Amino acid sequence: MRYKSQSVAYWYFAVAMALFGLQLVFGLLSAAKYLGPDPLLYILPFDVTKVIHTNLLIVWVLTGFMGATYWMVPDESRTELYSTRLAYIQLGLWTAMGVTAIIGYLFRYGTGNKLLEQPLPHKIVIVICMLIFLYNIGMTIKKSGRFTTTEGVLLLGLASAAVLYIPALLHYENYTVSIYYRWWTIHLWVEGVWEMIQGGFLAYLLIRLSGADREVMDKWLYVIVGLVFIAGILGTAHHYYWVGVPSYWLPIGGFFSALEPVALVGMAMYAYYAMRRSGLAHPNNLALHWTIGSAVFTLFGAGLLGFAHTFPSVNKWTHGTLITAMHGHAAFYGAYAMIIMAMITYALPSLTRGRSEDSNSLGYWAFWLQLAGMFGMTLSFATAGIGQVYLERILGLGYLDTQLKIQIHFLMLVATGSIFAVGVGLFIYDFFRLPPRLSVDRDDPALSTQAVR
Amino acid sequence: MNRRQTRLFAIGSTALATIVFVGLTIDSHRQFPELTNADTITPAVTRGKDVWHEYNCINCHTLFGEGAYYAPDLTKIAQHRGEPYLTAFLKDPSQFYDEQRHRRLMPNQDLDDEEIASLIAFFEWVANVDNQGWPPRPILVAGSSIPGTSMTLAQQDASGPGSTDETLPPGSRPVSEEDDPVALGDALFNSATPTCSACHSIAPGVNLAGPSLAGIASRAEQIIGSEEYQGDADSVEAYIRESIVAPSAYLFPGEMYSANGTSFMPTTYAESLTSEQVDQLVAYLSTFK
Ligand code: HEC
Ligand code: HEC
Ligand code: HEM
Ligand code: HEM
Ligand SMILES: [Fe+2]
Repeated sequence: MRYKSQSVAYWYFAVAMALFGLQLVFGLLSAAKYLGPDPLLYILPFDVTKVIHTNLLIVWVLTGFMGATYWMVPDESRTELYSTRLAYIQLGLWTAMGVTAIIGYLFRYGTGNKLLEQPLPHKIVIVICMLIFLYNIGMTIKKSGRFTTTEGVLLLGLASAAVLYIPALLHYENYTVSIYYRWWTIHLWVEGVWEMIQGGFLAYLLIRLSGADREVMDKWLYVIVGLVFIAGILGTAHHYYWVGVPSYWLPIGGFFSALEPVALVGMAMYAYYAMRRSGLAHPNNLALHWTIGSAVFTLFGAGLLGFAHTFPSVNKWTHGTLITAMHGHAAFYGAYAMIIMAMITYALPSLTRGRSEDSNSLGYWAFWLQLAGMFGMTLSFATAGIGQVYLERILGLGYLDTQLKIQIHFLMLVATGSIFAVGVGLFIYDFFRLPPRLSVDRDDPALSTQAVR
Repeated sequence: MNRRQTRLFAIGSTALATIVFVGLTIDSHRQFPELTNADTITPAVTRGKDVWHEYNCINCHTLFGEGAYYAPDLTKIAQHRGEPYLTAFLKDPSQFYDEQRHRRLMPNQDLDDEEIASLIAFFEWVANVDNQGWPPRPILVAGSSIPGTSMTLAQQDASGPGSTDETLPPGSRPVSEEDDPVALGDALFNSATPTCSACHSIAPGVNLAGPSLAGIASRAEQIIGSEEYQGDADSVEAYIRESIVAPSAYLFPGEMYSANGTSFMPTTYAESLTSEQVDQLVAYLSTFK
């Protein structure tokens, strides 16, 4: 830690990790309900556990993004944050929003619109928090006068994420139109502006960890952003096939969304080359694992598994089955959960006391157990989903009868989900194991590692 | 490429894609009213949509294939199930499905009559949106559109009056005398000997050895009003009853269904089913509007 104000990141990461743990509790509960019968049918039915599971995901990932940004911007702009007070106020407001939203869901207080269930007051608080955040970061950069490309891409991603949330605040009379605009938020987030955020963090980490050349990284980053948007914006149409929109969206969606993996291949390639051509061996090898891991798992979960069902002729059969859940898990984990854990792992030796840069074996266990668990979960959802597509969608067996025939895959889901949860448990334990460091002091390992451009 | 060129590429491609996307969005708005029959979005439909959101149905079900995967897709439910059935189901799902048997059950949502009626109006509207013909095959809640797959041979043999819960096919729920006649008819449809579901699907357009019984109530109305009809029935219920106990009284058109004035449907039901059981089947089938 070079700048004292970077320590606000610790508290953002702490909140994110706590919510991550809670997310898994509700994930495992939901999966157990697939097996049924459900003793909690009238206390905590599936719809409640699922909405909490996905909303916790969104909240902790955004918390992680914000924390990681508060960590990265002082480093890049070489200055203290404009206001740590604002950052703490924002975190308080944000956490209160998240916690009350979750409590509300227990009582079915929500909009009942997939992934955008946050009630209007909460949505407004989200917008306010985003504005405070962007203001704080913007002023920091303005104050320092140093604005790097990495930062620019990251910030533009964050600001666009806020802008794209606006359609979610509006009300639509026509259900089809409301679906149309739901995807402006959800799809353009995960397959557009959030990928900019991921790209920004990735570039930052690669420059720091492997000493990659900034000039080269900047060029890669621009090319990737261009590829993301040329495919991703019109690729939104892969959600428009069967919802009541004009038929020209079918070929458009098929063509452009099929191009989306190109950017992800680019991202994995630049991570790989940066690692190979590195001029510097940073001792935090575990952070490098998470960084490269994120790029590779994104290529698998989003690129390959997204591509697998993105053509209309395939999606016609797989739409709305467990195949979607297979892809959703692998993609979200690889792209967003892993990049945040990469940033945390990179920052943690400086943010806590008594932690060396050389990674401990606990950290590796957390990494590999999570990877194995998530891969197993992806396979479980995939096998269940393939069974569902053939039996229910193609042969015409009833939904309930089909679900009975694929029970074994749900057992596998619970088993592999538990392995995954152990990995996450270790990561969280490792995070909270040592007390935070709240000032810049001499024994900070970051100060002894070589300064970078 | 140098840095400036790559930046230009990023900005240019984003701008280009955005312009095309916004243009197509405007054109889509032009077409929404027609594709979604916007003129049929009555206050009841809007109310139904709000109820759908209020009760968080989307986090168990999918609609237009979007939502959660714990419960069946409901896009075309209004075409598969008539209003009487949906009303009875939404009042108490446990009347129709068994949690032990299916390992899941829709919790009773405690909906009032007005909410149920609005939901059904909403489902009607959804089912008629022009969504490129998705799903390509009907998605059934339970049972099967393939003969025999919902029961083993042993089960088919052992079913009918006097059968036990264990011998019922997985798609049907054990019923007792106190149940709604519609639910009893539903169970019987899968368990009478020979089972009706072996020859009839309840999915539109899925014709097996016998015609699909989707929409049978509306069809019955047309048939009894037509010139060709020679039978005695003067109501939908009477027509369905006649079709079961005297299949040849009216022949459903199609060479695969009858020959020389005789229906291929078994004539044994008048004997093997009690009059109450036939009533229950009639009650069940007449919900298919
Ligand atoms: C906790 C999960 C859950 C919620 C919430 C839920 N459902 Fe269901 N629903 C199910 C399941 C499971 C089934 C399959 C039948 C069964 O097992 O009860 C079902 C079946 C249905 C069916 C089809 C019944 C048939 O036999 O054709 C309809 C219609 C339906 N639900 C409507 C609704 C509506 C409307 C809402 C919101 C008010 C809703 N559901 C909320 C789980 C749920
Ligand atoms: C072996 C096959 C077979 C079985 C089993 C069978 N049906 Fe049929 N059913 C047919 C055929 C073939 C027709 C069309 C010819 C006709 O009109 O009778 C038909 C016609 C009907 C019709 C009239 C359809 C219309 O649109 O006019 C009804 C109602 C009906 N069946 C009900 C039942 C019920 C209820 C059962 C079970 C108790 C049953 N069927 C069992 C073959 C079968
Ligand atoms: C980082 C990237 C990605 C993430 C986090 C992600 C996540 C998700 C999620 C959560 C859903 C379910 C959404 C819902 O139904 O509400 C989904 C659906 C989908 N995704 Fe992705 N995705 C990513 C990238 C991609 C890519 C690159 C492709 C294509 C090449 C793709 C293709 C699809 C398709 C076709 C669906 C619709 C599934 C259906 O028919 O139900 N995704 N994605
Ligand atoms: C212990 C581990 C986990 C288990 C057992 C689990 C289980 C589940 C279940 C059962 C659902 C509901 C699917 C449905 O609608 O029927 C779900 C949804 C979802 N989960 Fe998880 N989950 C776990 C971890 C995660 C993680 C780590 C992430 C992201 C990084 C994640 C992201 C999602 C998403 C995006 C959805 C919505 C998918 C969609 O609607 O297509 N889950 N999960
Ligand atoms: Fe998408």
